[in-house]
Amino acid sequence: MLASAREKNKVSCHTCGRINPLEEGYCPRCHTPLHSRKKNSVQRCLAFSLASIIAYIPANIWPIMIVTNLGRNEESTILAGVATFWQMKAYPVAITIFIASVMIPALKLLALGWLCALSAGWVNTNPRHATRIFWLTELVGRWSMVDVFVVAILVALVQLGNIISITPGTAAVSFGLMVILTMLAALSFEPRLIWDNARQSTSS
Amino acid sequence: MACHFCDSLHDVELIEEGQTAYCNTCGSTLYANQPQSLERAFAFGLTGVLFLIGMLFLPFITMEAEGNNITISAGETVIRLWLTGGPIIALAVAIFIFILPFFQLASLIYLCLPLLSGRAFPGMVPVTKLMQGLQSWVMVEVFFLGTLVSLLKLVKLADITLGLGFWSMVGLMLSLAAAVGGIDKLELWDRIEVAYRRKKTSDVSVEGGVEC
Repeated sequence: MLASAREKNKVSCHTCGRINPLEEGYCPRCHTPLHSRKKNSVQRCLAFSLASIIAYIPANIWPIMIVTNLGRNEESTILAGVATFWQMKAYPVAITIFIASVMIPALKLLALGWLCALSAGWVNTNPRHATRIFWLTELVGRWSMVDVFVVAILVALVQLGNIISITPGTAAVSFGLMVILTMLAALSFEPRLIWDNARQSTSS
Repeated sequence: MACHFCDSLHDVELIEEGQTAYCNTCGSTLYANQPQSLERAFAFGLTGVLFLIGMLFLPFITMEAEGNNITISAGETVIRLWLTGGPIIALAVAIFIFILPFFQLASLIYLCLPLLSGRAFPGMVPVTKLMQGLQSWVMVEVFFLGTLVSLLKLVKLADITLGLGFWSMVGLMLSLAAAVGGIDKLELWDRIEVAYRRKKTSDVSVEGGVEC
């Protein structure tokens, strides 16, 4: 394992990557405030995760869209949408939506919780795997927005008055909010802490 | 440089075009030397803006059902959403699909054009920061997937035709990926620093010339 910048009394700028002395307050190249480690990253990450768990509940219980067909209202939740595709034998679509809207957010929250526990030093694992998982968590975050965009397109397009029209449900907003919150949680997480712990345990 | 994920200190070595350097400790990508990154980013940035305009105004989807014929552009999607009780979703689409990608493309062009000849424009530092900050929030490819899924929902209701606006979106998605993915963060900042330094020394020499 290579020595970290911090162990060498250096700090790398989070914005431009320039290596500066640890006591420097602002990066001389891009004028960003320098932090060797993101401040309160575990607290922030957990706070955002908790907020997104709260948003996750209404997002799955309430209808994401309401279809009015010949005067009859039909509310559909995310899971009902998956079930409809499954019944239509559109298995790839059903699986895609299920993965993007249900599995990814849940797995992401689990992963963030586990990563926070790791960086706080409560559990131990191979830090290489943890880094990979964090990288993945950051990468897949945006894709959960897909359901919100599906609703957006359907609502905009299907407006035939009483024959058939679609209006967005409450869950669409809570769902979007949940995705944004998990993205913020991933952004405030500090993977370097995991490596600090690993370096400490190998040196002692 | 220090690894972005694990803070391991590395000496930056010159690597050949097309090669990528990885962290010894955690295996993450450190930096990459991509051939003609600025030229490519500039070209794809311009292409992307054209596609973005096309996506906003050209017909996106046409739906035919029960004798009704509806054609909308992606820009109209936002307006219609706003009017049918989804103002927050309308805003989300406008921000993630049109506004942020536009800012990202515009800042890419603003950075790459002067840097191609090694010149510095005012405000390059905040513009670069903006571009980096936007990276996670541009969701054109997610919107693309969303369009595909909603098409599958619609085919049972109506006849659907895809318009030029849809293909503009595909073009925008590809050019965004090519433009942003082709640029290396470290290289970009190095070039900006060199351009500013050059500007400073040339300013000093001009002033000196006046004094003489």
